[in-house]
Amino acid sequence: MQLWAIILDGFREALDRKIFWVLIGLSTMIALAMISISFEEDKITFFFGMADAETGRFNPLSALGRSNVVGLVVYFLLDALLAWVGIVLMVVATAGMFPNFLRHGGVDVVLSKPITRSRLFLYKYLAGLVFVFVQAGYFVVMTFLVMGLRWGVWSPGYLLAAPLLVLLFSYIFCISVLVGVKTRSTVAAVLLTVGAWMLSAMVTQAPQMFEVMPSLKNNTRIYTAIRVLSWIPPKTADFPYVAAKWAGAGTSSDVLPMDFAKTPGGPSSDDLRRAKEIELRELEKNPFYSIGSSLLFEAVILLLAMRTFVRRDY
Amino acid sequence: MVAITEMTNWAVDLIDVRKTYGKAIQALRGVNIQVGRGEIFGLLGPNGAGKSTLVKIMMTVVRPTQALGTILGRPLGHRGKLAATGYLPENHSFPGYLTGAKLLDYYAALSKVPRSVRGPRAGELLERLGLSRWGSTRIDKYSKGMLQRLGIAQALMNEPELVVLDEPTDGLDPVGRRDVRNLLLDLKQRGNTVFLNSHLLSELEMVCDRVSILVNGLVARQGTLSELTERTVEYEITCVSDVASLAGKLLRLGATVAGPVVTLPGHDIAKVNEAVDCLRSANVAIHAITPKRVGLEDILVEAMGGQDAKPSATPPTSPPAARPAGPHGDS
Repeated sequence: MQLWAIILDGFREALDRKIFWVLIGLSTMIALAMISISFEEDKITFFFGMADAETGRFNPLSALGRSNVVGLVVYFLLDALLAWVGIVLMVVATAGMFPNFLRHGGVDVVLSKPITRSRLFLYKYLAGLVFVFVQAGYFVVMTFLVMGLRWGVWSPGYLLAAPLLVLLFSYIFCISVLVGVKTRSTVAAVLLTVGAWMLSAMVTQAPQMFEVMPSLKNNTRIYTAIRVLSWIPPKTADFPYVAAKWAGAGTSSDVLPMDFAKTPGGPSSDDLRRAKEIELRELEKNPFYSIGSSLLFEAVILLLAMRTFVRRDY
Repeated sequence: MVAITEMTNWAVDLIDVRKTYGKAIQALRGVNIQVGRGEIFGLLGPNGAGKSTLVKIMMTVVRPTQALGTILGRPLGHRGKLAATGYLPENHSFPGYLTGAKLLDYYAALSKVPRSVRGPRAGELLERLGLSRWGSTRIDKYSKGMLQRLGIAQALMNEPELVVLDEPTDGLDPVGRRDVRNLLLDLKQRGNTVFLNSHLLSELEMVCDRVSILVNGLVARQGTLSELTERTVEYEITCVSDVASLAGKLLRLGATVAGPVVTLPGHDIAKVNEAVDCLRSANVAIHAITPKRVGLEDILVEAMGGQDAKPSATPPTSPPAARPAGPHGDS
């Protein structure tokens, strides 16, 4: 009863935020824009045929091409748009949740209820995820339906991107909660969370330096330190590969136009080949390593935040 | 300890409650307070005395440095007893995105009130507190007085045995204050215990059975209102005409004369009788004899160590109509 009450309250709080409706509006616009796209044997048409582009290396109507269509959505919509821009907006939208909750006079009544502080904290945390659950669910279901109904590409595995997005957000949200509980400041929560997120993305991607500078591998200390450090933060950069793997899509390189390497100032063929190799290795990784180690990080951060929440006087 | 205290009939039995903030600030220095079941109990004290800290410790909002005792027969923080307690904090701030009815439903759900009970009870309380027309309005549209009424309503949603109200009349107009007073008396009539923290002494005097005065983190005075205020500090004899001609005789009794009013300090009834005899022998008609008792304000000032504890200008307890001369003022 108490869990449901707090979740429902979180949902009501989410509905009250303008940014919630802005994101729903954006998702709807993206879905509508997707409806205007159609695939032919060797090209993609936009705005109901008003413009088109050659697909080059893949035939969207073939079996392989269908997986590439899913790849397009995963890499260019889910990853580039929702998993970055969307999540930054969601961090902004939810950062005030705990500082507002901890306001004097606001938290007093709730703390006087027959619920332990640790349980209250966890329920409130889950309520914070309701916001992103609704957003991610809406976006994924809408795009899933467009892919199926408009393009004839049904990929049930793609639906797993919704809980995956919630997971991805939860890795970052826990930092926001920790900062919010410690400082009771929304601004600090936003800035430090985004900062920590960027830092963790850099640290987890650091081992890729060895691809560019293989000589670094010879220095055992640096190699070990980077390997160990890269294991600690949440693996937010793994998101598109796990989503693509579960949706049955290939690498992002598969969906690039054939003459992409010839673009002036663009990457060379070697660069693209190396990027593809890295992507393939990422796709081969066990998703549960990424999720498990990230959840461990999240659990530690949440325990720290909970400890502060439980021990504080209000 | 628990077994013994469970047998007592105190709704609130606080023993040696201490709270130190940081290393130096002692907000509470060993508070002992007992509140009987069915009482309206008032907690008063100057700013910074530790009243709100004590209330917050009772409601588990603040963690005590040390605290023994019970609430409704169970140790402080007992979840079952928190479910049977209603609380209105001072300067509360409710989420503006909820409507009045939804807020009541939310807090009642946290108190584990069954869903089937919540709706009707919310309606009943909104009605009782004059908010029935506002139940479906967002809280951020409420005035301060309405918010206070809503706060009181949420404290009653779980039909609590004990209601802890921190400044319940804050922000209310005189009519609202009267309504809250009536509500408190109604709660008492139903057998509920009310623990009231208010800086409005007149409010407390009107409804409380017992009060406790907290000064510098310690209980300075505690008792029933009559116990605390029974001391008569002076008698005032109001005559129908000026008695300046008798001033010399009256001064010998220690009285002061100001026009038709003779004031006798202390509570020596024999001197009052002598003064009345003196006045009557000069054929002076006496309008009223009023014993002046100390008020809560005087007691509070006294407890704070103030030197200016003077009788409060309480209205005479005798009827204003002319009374026959005699020494027997109402007490």
